[in-house]
Amino acid sequence: MELELTLKRLREGGEGALMPHVYFGDPSPSFSLRLLWTLAESGADLLELGIPFSDPIADGPTFIAACERALSAGVTPRDCLKALAGLREEGLRLPVLLTAYYNLIFSRGLAEFCGEARKAGAQGLIVPDLPVEEAGELLREARRRGLHLILQVTPTTGEARLGRIVREASGFLYVIGVEGVTGAREELEPSTLELIGRVRRATPLPLLVGFGISRPEHVASLLRAGADGCVVGSAIARIYSERLEEPESTLPRIADFVRSLKGAARRKP
Amino acid sequence: MKGRFGRFGGRYVSEVLMQALEELEESFERLYPSPEFQRELGILLRDYAGRPTPLYHARGLSELTGCKVYLKREDLVTGGSHKLNNTLGQALLAKRMGKSRLITETAAGQHGLATVMAGNVVGLEVEVFMGVKDLERQASNVKRMQLLGARVIPVSTGSGVLKDAVSDTLREWARCTRTTHYLMGSTVGPHPFPEIVATFQSVIGRELKEQILEREGRLPDAIIACGSGGSNALGAFRPFLEDRQVRLYFVEGGGESLEADNSAAAFQLGRPGVLHGALMQLLQDEHGQVKPSKTRAAGLNYPGRGPEISHLCEVGRVKPVYAFDREVFEAVRTVCRTEGLLPALETAHALAFLLNHPEEFSRGEVVVVNFSGRGDKDLETIMRYFYGA
Repeated sequence: MELELTLKRLREGGEGALMPHVYFGDPSPSFSLRLLWTLAESGADLLELGIPFSDPIADGPTFIAACERALSAGVTPRDCLKALAGLREEGLRLPVLLTAYYNLIFSRGLAEFCGEARKAGAQGLIVPDLPVEEAGELLREARRRGLHLILQVTPTTGEARLGRIVREASGFLYVIGVEGVTGAREELEPSTLELIGRVRRATPLPLLVGFGISRPEHVASLLRAGADGCVVGSAIARIYSERLEEPESTLPRIADFVRSLKGAARRKP
Repeated sequence: MKGRFGRFGGRYVSEVLMQALEELEESFERLYPSPEFQRELGILLRDYAGRPTPLYHARGLSELTGCKVYLKREDLVTGGSHKLNNTLGQALLAKRMGKSRLITETAAGQHGLATVMAGNVVGLEVEVFMGVKDLERQASNVKRMQLLGARVIPVSTGSGVLKDAVSDTLREWARCTRTTHYLMGSTVGPHPFPEIVATFQSVIGRELKEQILEREGRLPDAIIACGSGGSNALGAFRPFLEDRQVRLYFVEGGGESLEADNSAAAFQLGRPGVLHGALMQLLQDEHGQVKPSKTRAAGLNYPGRGPEISHLCEVGRVKPVYAFDREVFEAVRTVCRTEGLLPALETAHALAFLLNHPEEFSRGEVVVVNFSGRGDKDLETIMRYFYGA
C-alpha cells in the first residue's frame, strides 16, 4: 500500500501511526515471518524490516545482539528481500520500510539494490548511517524507482541542517528522539518533546519518532507533542529475547504489547 | 571535494553525529593554524613528547640488507610510540573547544595510553574502549592506562577487537557529543578525523625530511611503514608525496596466510566499502558484511584501510605490501640481535618486509623504516612464540 496515503488517512482520522522495527532473521527467518504477521495483525500501520549488519553503529545492545544472532543464523540481504516478496505474496498490505546500513546497499550497487527492494515490495529505505550530505546518489536512485529514502533528524540537528534535510525528505521524517543509539528506555526526555515541536514548525511532513520508546504512555505524549506516530523496536526484541529457545511462545505477549501501544495511538490527543 | 581522497572518505554516520563533526572541522581549521596553538603544541611535542625523534643509522640492518638503513625512532616518543603526536594535538583542540572529556578506542593500548597522557597534560577526563581480546593480550598497557587514571571499558560485542571498540566508541559519542571529544586514534573514521590525524602525525615526515637531507644530502630511495588505518605511515609519507622518486611502502598484517579469514591484508583481500563513517578499502564478504581481520599484532587488526592510504594505493603512489606473522616474529629477533632494539609487533611488519624482500631494494639504496613503536607491550607474546608458555 502507498506510504503517503496510509499516513495521510491516519492523520485525517486523528490516529497515530505505529511502526514496529524488526531485524529479520533473529533468531531465525521462520520466527521473523511469524513475528511480522503478529505485528501486522495486532495494529501495526507500517513495518520496518531491518537487514542485519555486522557493525550496526547506530544500534544499542538489544539490536546489536539481534544482528549477531541473525548473522550467525546465516541470514543474507537477499534472504530479507525474498522474505518480503513472500510476505507480499501471502497478502501483506502494510507499507514496509527496509532498513539497511549503507555498506549493504553500496556493496550490492545502489541502482540494483533499489530495484530489488522495490520489486520485493518495499515502499522506502531507512539508512541509519547516511546523512543528507552523502545521500545524493541514493536519493536519485530511490526516487527513480518510486522508493522513499527516509531521512532522520535528531536533537543535535541545528536549524541549518534541519532545513537541508527537510528539503530532500519524502514519505516521512524519522525523528530520533534522543542523543544516542537504539534501545528501550524507561522515560521520555523533555527534549524529545521539544524536538518534535521544533521539527513540526519546519515541515508539514509526517513525523515518526523512534529510539527509546517502550510504553503506551510514551506514545500518547509523543502524539500530544505533535508527532504523527512512533517506531518501536528494541522493546519488542527484548520480549522474545527472553525466550530464545522458544521465541514463538512470546508472540501472544508481543501482540498484547503492540495492541496497547496502538491503543494509546488511537486516542485523539 | 572536501573530506574525500579520490573516491574514498566521506562522512557516513548517523545524523546525531553530524553537528559535532561540523563543529570539529570548523574548530580544527580555525585553531590549528593559529600561532598560539602552534606554539603550545610545539612546546608539548618538544618538552613532553621528546621531539624531534632521532634518525638512527642502523648498521646491523644495513649490513644484512646491503642498503643504508635508517630508523626513524618514534619508539622514543614518550609512551613508546608515535601515537602521542596525534593525541597531544587533539587533546589541545578538545580543550579549546570547551569539551570536558575524551573518549577513544585502543587495540595495542598505545593509543589509549597516549590519550590518557595527553588528557592528563591538558586536564581532560579519559575513557578508553578496548576489545576483551586485546585487554588480555596487551595487559601491561591496560595497567599503565589505569595507573594514569583512565577508565578502561571492556568491549565484548562482535569479536571483541579493535573494530568493535571503534563501533562502541562511536555509539558512546552519539550520547555525549556536546561535552565529549572522540579522540580518533588513526587516519580512519568520518571527515574530518582522517585529515586531523594525518596533519598531527606529519611531524614525523617533516623531521625525517630535514634529517635525511642533513645526513645524506638527498632524499631517501624508499620509506617503509606498517599500518592498518595508516596514521604512522601517512605521518611519514605525507611530506614526500610530491617527491615521486621516493618509493613508499605500506606494510599491512598478512596474518597466518592469505587464505580464508586468517589475515588483515585488506589491500590483498578486500574491496571498497563503508565502515565507521568512511568509504575505504575494506575486508568484507560478498554481501557487504564486514569480515573480522586476523593478525598477531593487535594494532594492525582492523578490517579497513583509512581513506587517504586507500586512495594513495589506488593511484599507485604508495605500494601496498604485507608481512606474515612468522616473518614478523623472526624480524623481531633479528632486530633485537643486530640493533639491540625491541620493536612492537606492528613495527616489526615494516622491518620484516625490508628483510624478506631484497628484490625491492638495490644495493646501497637509502631506505628509511618508520620505527613506530617499541615492543615492551608484546614481550609476553614474543617470549611465548619463541619459547612456549
